[in-house]
Amino acid sequence: MSIMDHNGGSVIAMVGKDCVAIASDLRLGNQALGISSNFQRVFGITDRIYLGLPGLATDVNTLRERFRFRVNMYTIKEEREIEPEAFAHLVSSTLYEHRFGPYFIEPVIAGLSKTPTGGIRPFIAATDLIGCINFAKDFVVSGTASSKLFGVAEGLWEPDLEPEDLFETISQTLLNAVDRDAFSGWGAVVHVITKDKVITRKLKARMD
Amino acid sequence: MNTFVNQFSTHSAVSQLKRAQNLIAADEDEYSDATWGSQAGFGNMIKGTPNFTVPAVPDPAAFLRLHTDDHADPNCRIKIQHGTTTLAFRFQGGVIVAVDSRATAGSYIASGTVKKVIEINPYLLGTMAGGAADCQFWETYLGMHCRLHELRNRERISVSAASKYLSNLVYSYKGMGLSMGTMICGWDKTGPAVFYVDSDGTRLKGDLFSVGSGSTFAYGVLDQGYRWDLTDEEAQELGRRSIFAAGHRDAFSGNTCNLYHVKEDGWKFIGNYDVSTMYYDGPGDVPGAPGGGYGYAIRTEGRSAADPPASS
Amino acid sequence: MAQPSVYRSPGFDFSNQIRNNFLSEKGLPLPNATSTGTTIVGCLFKDGIVLGADTRATEGDIVADKNCEKIHYITESIRCCGAGTAADTEFTTALISSNMELHTLSSGRKPRVVTAMTMLKQMLFRYQGHIGAALVLGGVDATGPQLFTIHPHGSTDKLPYVTMGSGSLAAMAVFESGWRANMERQDALDLVFNAISAGIFNDLGSGSNVDACIITADNTEMLRNINLQVDRSNVRPPKEREYKFRRGTTAWTKEDVRKLIVEEDITTLSSTTGAGDEMDTS
Repeated sequence: MSIMDHNGGSVIAMVGKDCVAIASDLRLGNQALGISSNFQRVFGITDRIYLGLPGLATDVNTLRERFRFRVNMYTIKEEREIEPEAFAHLVSSTLYEHRFGPYFIEPVIAGLSKTPTGGIRPFIAATDLIGCINFAKDFVVSGTASSKLFGVAEGLWEPDLEPEDLFETISQTLLNAVDRDAFSGWGAVVHVITKDKVITRKLKARMD
Repeated sequence: MNTFVNQFSTHSAVSQLKRAQNLIAADEDEYSDATWGSQAGFGNMIKGTPNFTVPAVPDPAAFLRLHTDDHADPNCRIKIQHGTTTLAFRFQGGVIVAVDSRATAGSYIASGTVKKVIEINPYLLGTMAGGAADCQFWETYLGMHCRLHELRNRERISVSAASKYLSNLVYSYKGMGLSMGTMICGWDKTGPAVFYVDSDGTRLKGDLFSVGSGSTFAYGVLDQGYRWDLTDEEAQELGRRSIFAAGHRDAFSGNTCNLYHVKEDGWKFIGNYDVSTMYYDGPGDVPGAPGGGYGYAIRTEGRSAADPPASS
Repeated sequence: MAQPSVYRSPGFDFSNQIRNNFLSEKGLPLPNATSTGTTIVGCLFKDGIVLGADTRATEGDIVADKNCEKIHYITESIRCCGAGTAADTEFTTALISSNMELHTLSSGRKPRVVTAMTMLKQMLFRYQGHIGAALVLGGVDATGPQLFTIHPHGSTDKLPYVTMGSGSLAAMAVFESGWRANMERQDALDLVFNAISAGIFNDLGSGSNVDACIITADNTEMLRNINLQVDRSNVRPPKEREYKFRRGTTAWTKEDVRKLIVEEDITTLSSTTGAGDEMDTS
């Protein structure tokens, strides 16, 4: 039993065609005991960047506030909104600062970044608990159901999914993976980020 | 995970049975006493008791304790499925037996369709918590002896006698890593009866038991709703509702609920109910159900300040 | 009055140590960080250095990243392969790269490989092996081609051909049988390719693709996934069928759409109507 499994919870992010999606379960547990079925662990950082923080719940809240502070400082100093790549490195260096006393969180970042030509490019990344970034072109997973999510996502993901198709794929991936994990589940939430809107949906999930 | 088990391949179910059969016929003297380990002075009373091969070491019980999963030492190498919720209670109309159907290995949900009620014979039910193989094997074996009892004595075995037979059996293997927490339920001359038997050798008679990681949640609902003069429908609903509560709250219980009702003429399978369906929609069109989902969010929808009624 | 700084002092932050020690004393083990099981190699040839690496990153028995980059930039003509704790190799090489740039700027000379090697070993020694970085450092400077290995505790080796990581034995077997002094560029690249391939195929901690970097006195060439030009048998074939779900498969209870484009309706008030409702702007 690891500290990472204490509160449970999982997050997944996927790339689609000119869009990204990030989804997470809503369980907060104390080991085997379910406490809350409405624990948000995915947060909006800017309009087009979302951050998922699966892991120890106390650190979810601490890091959420710490990142809010650091992103605000960045925005004030640079006088522009932070880009997903820069934010990923901000997350990474914040975690590595605590290399010898880490936060028990393995963040997932999903966002749309601007290209020099004025277009947008989907961006997803995940880091381990001491900030080693994993840039992926397809999907990233994290949390107590990560091994199950890897398996399902590897089978279901395909390139260039439209936002509505991406919603179905990421939802089914998450739902089916957490149904095989004792510490994740109890509801789920999905955010699909596109060029002009962010669609947030609460899923009807198994409640056991 | 299986490598350690494979080292002792004579422990596989088939070879164990073969060994047991051979032993009845064979001359036992060719094996040293140490091979059999402690029988607590009980094992040789009945020629038919399976004699399990135990590791040929000076103290097999200590050896097995070192390597086998039990509540005293969770860090050992042989892992046995633990998470479960089972309950049984006695009332005016018989015995209600309700169990969940989840099997976990660590955090992995290995199965959601496990049969945790063991149908020993048409009048006896056993429940399964702890080691699935231990429960299945010994309760089936118990069924065999209950039948022998019937043939010898021209009457059905009492629940009390059957449960005592099981508890004596597991006691003879005490300390060697058997893991079971079971309820033996049935109807005999004395009426409905429930006995709790576990691998420590405990045997308790009572009206109401719940066993497993989700038992505390089940007890919560059960204690609140239990009366002796419950009607059949009310009792079935109470069993269902209790397993739902455990399946919902406990990470290691859930998926579906299997419900049995033992009456004077034997047990009857009432139904299988999905825990998530019960959360959102209730158990369906069954007598005793209040209608609507059991889920907190479903029952409070639009009724609290945090979740106000939809306007307009 | 001294204002509390909103900036944090540089370096590591040990504030969670008391809590985490308490947790591990209670028997909760610390979780695994991403590590690169890794095969990394380097070898000397006639005109310079060839470095090689596989591209697998693992978290326990899970492949966390199938195509990560393990050849890190130090300076234009110095590169460094990293094995061990992935975050440590990443941040250690980035820090030394940054310091090398500053060093170059202040000294006004082309940086030397020994300088980077010394910075790395001094840092790793200071942290007594707690920074789990095992490195192969190679480059070409004023003193010619240089190749070093640096171990997590700070010890270093200077050899004509080196391997590190969990696949180092497989790779070294290839080097021991195939390396010769003064090899041609292509022969050296082939040898490195074979050494990494040996690690990929024979070591479970290494896998996926082969990256290489050829450093000569006047040029540095970073070659990514060179195995894909030879054969693609290691590549997952595209799916033959679609696994798309029909739209509407997933049941959901609540939807919230946040529009990012602000729409404004501008109602112009025409003054020609002369109703006198306009704002007086005089």
